[in-house]
Amino acid sequence: MRIGIVCPYSWDIPGGVSAHVADLAEALIRMGHHVSVLAPAEFDELLPDYVVSTGKPRAVKYNGSVARLSFGPIAARKVSKWIEEGEFDVLHVHEPLAPSLSVLACWAAKGPIVATWHSSMDKSRMMLTLSKLAQTAMEKVSARIAVSEAARATLIRHVGGDAVVIPNGVDVSAFTNAKPMFGWPGANQSIVFLGRGDEPRKGLSVLVEAYPEIRRNHPNVRLLIAGPGEPADTLKSLSREDRASVTVLGMVAPQDKSSVLASGTVYVAPNTGGESFGIVLLEAMASGTPVVASDLEAFVRVLDNGRAGVAFENENSTDLAKVVSDLLSDPARRAELTEQGRLRAAEFDWSVVANRIVDVYESIRVPGVTVEPDLAGQMIGRLGRGRITPEMRSD
Amino acid sequence: MNSQSIFLIAAIALAVWYLSHQAGRLDRLHHRIEVTELALHGQLVRRGGIVAELAAVPGIDPALSVLWGQAAHEALILQEVASPERTQVEDELTSILVMTLDEPEEVNEIRSNAHASVLLDELAQVCDRIKMSQQFHTDAVRDCLEIREQFLVRIFRLAGRAKPPVPVDLDVQIPPALAN
Repeated sequence: MRIGIVCPYSWDIPGGVSAHVADLAEALIRMGHHVSVLAPAEFDELLPDYVVSTGKPRAVKYNGSVARLSFGPIAARKVSKWIEEGEFDVLHVHEPLAPSLSVLACWAAKGPIVATWHSSMDKSRMMLTLSKLAQTAMEKVSARIAVSEAARATLIRHVGGDAVVIPNGVDVSAFTNAKPMFGWPGANQSIVFLGRGDEPRKGLSVLVEAYPEIRRNHPNVRLLIAGPGEPADTLKSLSREDRASVTVLGMVAPQDKSSVLASGTVYVAPNTGGESFGIVLLEAMASGTPVVASDLEAFVRVLDNGRAGVAFENENSTDLAKVVSDLLSDPARRAELTEQGRLRAAEFDWSVVANRIVDVYESIRVPGVTVEPDLAGQMIGRLGRGRITPEMRSD
Repeated sequence: MNSQSIFLIAAIALAVWYLSHQAGRLDRLHHRIEVTELALHGQLVRRGGIVAELAAVPGIDPALSVLWGQAAHEALILQEVASPERTQVEDELTSILVMTLDEPEEVNEIRSNAHASVLLDELAQVCDRIKMSQQFHTDAVRDCLEIREQFLVRIFRLAGRAKPPVPVDLDVQIPPALAN
């Protein structure tokens, strides 16, 4: 199949959506499909050969933060040219309401179009106005995918209609043979936390509150905190002795994530809310580290109701201390969780997820109907074409 | 030309543009409905083929073979894409699949035949696709009806002679032993 994928955000800055698009494109190429990705990018020479750049993105304030997007007549022309030359069987746009390439591609094309919704913002006035403006473009989308139940809910509320939920994938192979960092976990046991240390929703304070109790049960345990943000304020409550057993790593490069996760006897995700999926849980499982996570709906789903990991009562540090202490003194249970966790992570491997996405492509595809440039956005094109009446149906 | 007639011409131009815009939207939506319906049909035909092939696998017990073979045959000989008859026949095939492929143990036994196992995987996939195809078709119909019901669209008969679209009311259950 010839597949055209549109990424609205800058390829230069690795982020959620561009990372998703890159993983998807590579998985589809491995399956033998022809893939072309259209994305804004500043540095042409660094691009993988399946990416076509629309040039340097422009930074604009969008949705409360600065996003690097591509728009305007030159970008629109490049989109049209890409569609004309691509001869795609399916066009797959991501985050179609972002004011960037995706919505331009919807305008410029017709035929089998798939759109994936990533964000799950609750109150975005921008999105509301856009959904009115971009309505015409949205009407051409035949199949909608949401990456989470939250993204699906956002879509239903703001745009109407429904979507198939297909979660993000995990590149299991990048985590399977993860080597722990030098000296970790070592002779002693360790707990790993990965996430912004200064963001309350990530729940570091819940773990820090539970930590003294865990240390009373397991005096030699160590805590490894990785991720951007300064956690010093949160750690102030610890005694000097407890504090001495805490290592703060700071920001971790994506390629080092696996060894950080593998450095723990257990991995703890004490997030207090706002999580729509929990990819990092799956990454820890793929690394073979047993997972303890708060009982958020999304997390419990990823943990397969406790089969692939242990949940504790959200924001309850007493419960967390008990769950972690029990797990640290039970090697058999940890071995079982490692095994179940690896199996669970494999279910979300990109190869599996890409297969589901191909199923969506196939479910809207008809032999002979391909993605074509659409002139209907222009009045002349429309007048020249007339309407389809039942007698004129040919395909 | 006085200001009144300029205003009138502008108003007429605006109205023409608006009607043309709505007609274009309808055109695109009718096209989307057609394509999603054909895609659904394509997957249904594929399912019929797979079930017919399953029925012919050597070693499948004759009762199953007859049930599957007959239901698949009924579905495959129909020509119409969308008709009450098509819906009925496809629903019958679905219910036979749901009834016969309900016990995981039995299905595992059928899977001991390598060819049958491949076909069951394909069947699971096609059932999944049928379910999605139907949803995507229903989405398109709903989007289209929303516009067709608008006052101006009805008054100016922008939908032309195209009949109001109807969603395909299909039973899209996935056989229990094939789910996931």
